[in-house]
Amino acid sequence: MASWIKNLIILLTCVTIYCYLNISGLIFILTSIITTYIISLILKNKKSKILLTIGILINLIILLSFKTIILYKSIVVPLGISYYTLQVIAYLVDIYKNKYEPCLNIINFSLYIFYIPCLFIGPINRYNDIEKELFNSKIKINNLYNGLCRICFGLFKKLVIASRISIIINSIVQNNYTGSYILFSCLLYTLYLYTDFSGGIDIVLGISKMLGITLKENFDRPLFSESIKQFWNRWHIALSSFLKDYVYIPLKGNRCSKIRQKINILITFLVSGLWHGFNYLIWGLGQGILVILNIKTSSKILNVILTYVLVSLLWVFFIYPNNMEAIFKLTSIFTNFNLGSLFSNFLNLGLSISNYLVLIIATITLFIIEKKGPYLKISNNKKLILIGTLILIVLVFGVYGIGFQVEQFVYSKF
Amino acid sequence: MKKVWIILIFIILFIFLNKLLAPKYMDYLKEGNMTYEYYQEKTNHDVIFIGDCEVYANISPLTMYEQYGITSYVRGNSQQLIWQSYYLLKETLNYETPAIVVLNVNALRYDKKVSEAYNRLMIDKMKWSQEKIDLIKASMLEEENFLSYVFPILRYHDRFDKLKLEDFKYLFKEKSNTYNGFLVNKKVKPVKNLPTKRKLANYSFSDNVYNYLDKIRKLCAENNIKLVLMKAPSLYPYWYLEYENQVKEYAEKYKLDYYNFIDVSDTIGIDYQKDTYDGGLHLNLNGAIKLSNYFGNILKNKYHLKDYRSDKKVNSIYEEKLKKFKKEVE
Repeated sequence: MASWIKNLIILLTCVTIYCYLNISGLIFILTSIITTYIISLILKNKKSKILLTIGILINLIILLSFKTIILYKSIVVPLGISYYTLQVIAYLVDIYKNKYEPCLNIINFSLYIFYIPCLFIGPINRYNDIEKELFNSKIKINNLYNGLCRICFGLFKKLVIASRISIIINSIVQNNYTGSYILFSCLLYTLYLYTDFSGGIDIVLGISKMLGITLKENFDRPLFSESIKQFWNRWHIALSSFLKDYVYIPLKGNRCSKIRQKINILITFLVSGLWHGFNYLIWGLGQGILVILNIKTSSKILNVILTYVLVSLLWVFFIYPNNMEAIFKLTSIFTNFNLGSLFSNFLNLGLSISNYLVLIIATITLFIIEKKGPYLKISNNKKLILIGTLILIVLVFGVYGIGFQVEQFVYSKF
Repeated sequence: MKKVWIILIFIILFIFLNKLLAPKYMDYLKEGNMTYEYYQEKTNHDVIFIGDCEVYANISPLTMYEQYGITSYVRGNSQQLIWQSYYLLKETLNYETPAIVVLNVNALRYDKKVSEAYNRLMIDKMKWSQEKIDLIKASMLEEENFLSYVFPILRYHDRFDKLKLEDFKYLFKEKSNTYNGFLVNKKVKPVKNLPTKRKLANYSFSDNVYNYLDKIRKLCAENNIKLVLMKAPSLYPYWYLEYENQVKEYAEKYKLDYYNFIDVSDTIGIDYQKDTYDGGLHLNLNGAIKLSNYFGNILKNKYHLKDYRSDKKVNSIYEEKLKKFKKEVE
């Protein structure tokens, strides 16, 4: 099949799914595609800063408008707006800087933006990274096995681990607990967010792999980071590298005075907070301060634990979107710890002993498998066994169905 | 070839897990096995009873056989609603065509789907057929999904830490808990305080209920089956005069026989100090035997049903059943 026909079919499928899921968002994504496509073609021949600024502003204004409205009103945000907006901004800047040639084929360019698996939770793809993969993909049997493995692994993370942890966290939030409960929920939230987000990304990467498209990894075992800085290099890599390339470096990054460098870090993390939403600004600021402080010990293990704890504490702003409430809850860890209450109430947080056991075993299994890399180098027969085993494990031990509210992927709301 | 074997092994494991995790309804929640027990029947029946708990708790087919030689079966379920009665009757007709179908009218007052638990008790162990598919579609609540009826693991996977001995014991074999659909309850709980009558905003049966009642009537007519309506005795004041009048009106309009046993409890000989297991709502074994004797007599004499006690083949099967029944009730 000619590649343009294949790309057109994928594009039409993506558009159909998009319309089915969020038809009201179609006008915004089409606006982004059309304006970016036209501006990029002009930028190819005429390097106009004004035109670049207009292109960026059109997309940014739409994004920020929704981020603002959502603070006051419950509205449906266009599907994938946070992700495709960053993609088109990066694209325009790169074309302006002559990093690569603009895409002349409107079908291919639309597919780059409309590629539906990435619109839910990312990753944010750079055009030059994905171009060859996306437009010249070929379905191969090996990729089908690898992709299916990845999808099953993502479902395992989401339904067996993340959904179980969310029961505990929801119970702590609903019962308005404070002190040690908050520390416990924050520590769990890191694992929750990781398994939820990276589980979703695994599914996206798996689907893409099956279509013959290899996307860039978005996580690199971040929970084993030895410093906050390392953590942010390994967590949500697509966003971190976008911020580095399009915010931090344009601010002159670390090629300036030490104080300016620290301010640049703070600004970068504030933008990261802003991307998540206005009420995540304090969270972004907090992470920026932690990166600047770069607290470390001489022990590797202690550093891993310290990084995990510090990163975890700030997730309180994700658990409690109201900043004042989040600060109150965080303070209660230091003023009203009450560990005894947590211990005595451990089995009343929504999980039975057997479910805690499943959670622990599944988490250990997750880390063992992840150590071996995202795509295992084993025979297809062994992969088939792994796929079957994972499907059965997810079916039996997954948290889903009547009586359970499977939460949507956390990062699908950003 | 190796891949085929691997896939086959996983399919077998999947089927095994579906079976293991699904409730067995053997020692607990016996009502869940009632629909399935019907398929184990070796003879046809002249009378089929359909309806809610008022039939499976109050009608004893083996008593009717012992006294009058009537072959009958109770296809009752907890909270069996009228559309469920229809599909269950339709399914029954795939196996046999009885002379009489007796519909207990208690469920006519319900128009809404009640709970997933009742749906499961009725549908889980039903054999697959077009009727089962229609029944699921008609009964499912909004939060349910069809696929979980096809693959029970999707519904019962959280039972992995609640498995009991019966889940393993009855993994590949079944046992009967009822006697031709009659669930024996020997407990005695005399009537003490009855609930007070509640005033309702609307006493009319809904269009949907009438629609399914019509469907049952027409189905019976198409198959030359005599449809009989009954209301089981109960002291609870929830069968209002308005309900009674609507049933009577319907029965008159379509020339159906209707028996309300509430009014003739004394004639039947029901003593609500001894013959009920829940303070007057349902009859216990003693009460059910009395009612079955009484109703059996009507069925025998009015509809001239065959006495199967002289049929060697049928009688030998029922003798076996009666032996077991008597062993339990004595």
